[in-house]
Amino acid sequence: MSFIWNELRDAVPLIVHGNPQLWQIIWFTLEVAAIATAAATVLGVPIGLAIGLGRFRGRGVAHALANASLALPPVVVGVFLYILFLPRAPLGSVQLIWTKQVVFIAQTILALPFTVALTAAAVQALPPGLLGQARLLGAGRLQISLLALREARIGVMAGIIAALGTALSEVAAVAILGGNIYGYNQTLASASLYEVNGGHYADALAIAIVLIAMILILMCGLGVLQHQGNGVRMRFRTAT
Amino acid sequence: MGYLWQETRQAFPLIFDGKSGIGGLLWVTLRVALISTSAALVIGLPIGLAIGLGRFRGRRVLQLLANASLALPSVVVGVAVLMLLLPQAQFGSLRWEFTIKGVYVAQTILALPFIVALTPAAIQGLPPGLIAQARTLGADRLQLSALALREAKIGVLAAVIAAFGAAISEVGAVIIVGGNFEGRDQTLGSALLAQFNYYGNVPAMIAIGLVLLAAILLLMGLLTVLQQRGGGIHLRFRTS
Repeated sequence: MSFIWNELRDAVPLIVHGNPQLWQIIWFTLEVAAIATAAATVLGVPIGLAIGLGRFRGRGVAHALANASLALPPVVVGVFLYILFLPRAPLGSVQLIWTKQVVFIAQTILALPFTVALTAAAVQALPPGLLGQARLLGAGRLQISLLALREARIGVMAGIIAALGTALSEVAAVAILGGNIYGYNQTLASASLYEVNGGHYADALAIAIVLIAMILILMCGLGVLQHQGNGVRMRFRTAT
Repeated sequence: MGYLWQETRQAFPLIFDGKSGIGGLLWVTLRVALISTSAALVIGLPIGLAIGLGRFRGRRVLQLLANASLALPSVVVGVAVLMLLLPQAQFGSLRWEFTIKGVYVAQTILALPFIVALTPAAIQGLPPGLIAQARTLGADRLQLSALALREAKIGVLAAVIAAFGAAISEVGAVIIVGGNFEGRDQTLGSALLAQFNYYGNVPAMIAIGLVLLAAILLLMGLLTVLQQRGGGIHLRFRTS
């Protein structure tokens, strides 16, 4: 027990005054999480609805692809984008490597599959008659989408929560594309990796504790929101 | 475009060349993904069912914690597992540090949250009366669980798919716990990172990345077919 305990005891003071860049890292992590989650929601929920509700050819394939992209490895995303941005490659003229923007882009790409696939799954799991009935009653596409969103909102929220989780915690693409530059575009996760690589376990642990605390607060906040929605719905249901 | 095409063309022979070691990497990757997803399923399903169906105090809190743990950063899991496995720590006598067994443990911990959090979400998405009705009719816990699993199987399979995706694509914990040793505990993902960090051989990176993507696409596609077929049976059963 003493080994872990010693490292933990070393870590706690480090949280408070060990890393002069800590606030900058926390701020940047929040920025990345907010931008990537918002972008993934705006782009992903409509796609998920289309896959879940649409009756077009190739919908099964689209769903399979969306599910497969849940496993999109951050390393592969990082390395492939990096290759595309090499000076001689097609996107070589775009100067994005080792910037903050590329970190936003990478995390959005990694968060997107969660909003797409989980929205589609949630919508599909609705009682089969519900949407058919709405369709029969002449609801337009927009109305059906809104109905499906409202009914499946727990599942859709789960997708957004998972997207936020990815944006907060993934590190490989951030490290590869952003370069893990100290004091500039490090997230808490990549800063922790940076410290492990340097053999500074206590520092890594300190950053990890801050990251876990932030994840707990943000995820629980969203989780409460998710269930509050449920409560309102139940009350609404029983009242009518 | 010429540049990329050239590099990609050089990548293909590497994939099918027995000496490049990609076959071995693929085998390790599959083993890690299958073992940790199975372990996560065995451990996580009962917990997920308990949270989804149970009516005990603190269930809400558990659900929130389960959701939050979806964002468990692989780097943090890696640091924590490694610190427990180092020779001077609690589990040091196992000698699992920098071995594939340590990697199994870390990846199981990373896959677990998906099962634990998404199973209750799927169960809560069921029509509100269903479980209550079964309860009123005197179903015991095991019967309730079986019913909930059957009715929510699309969502539960989505959880398995997500867990598998995490286990096959995460690399943060694999490199920290396994040490990223060539030929011993390197997965396709961690080998890709090593290739990027130390060798910078673009065709080799493309080859490894493509094999990893192909494996993911194939396995996730299979799981999705399974999921959708399950859905089909479920629907037919209902309408008859």
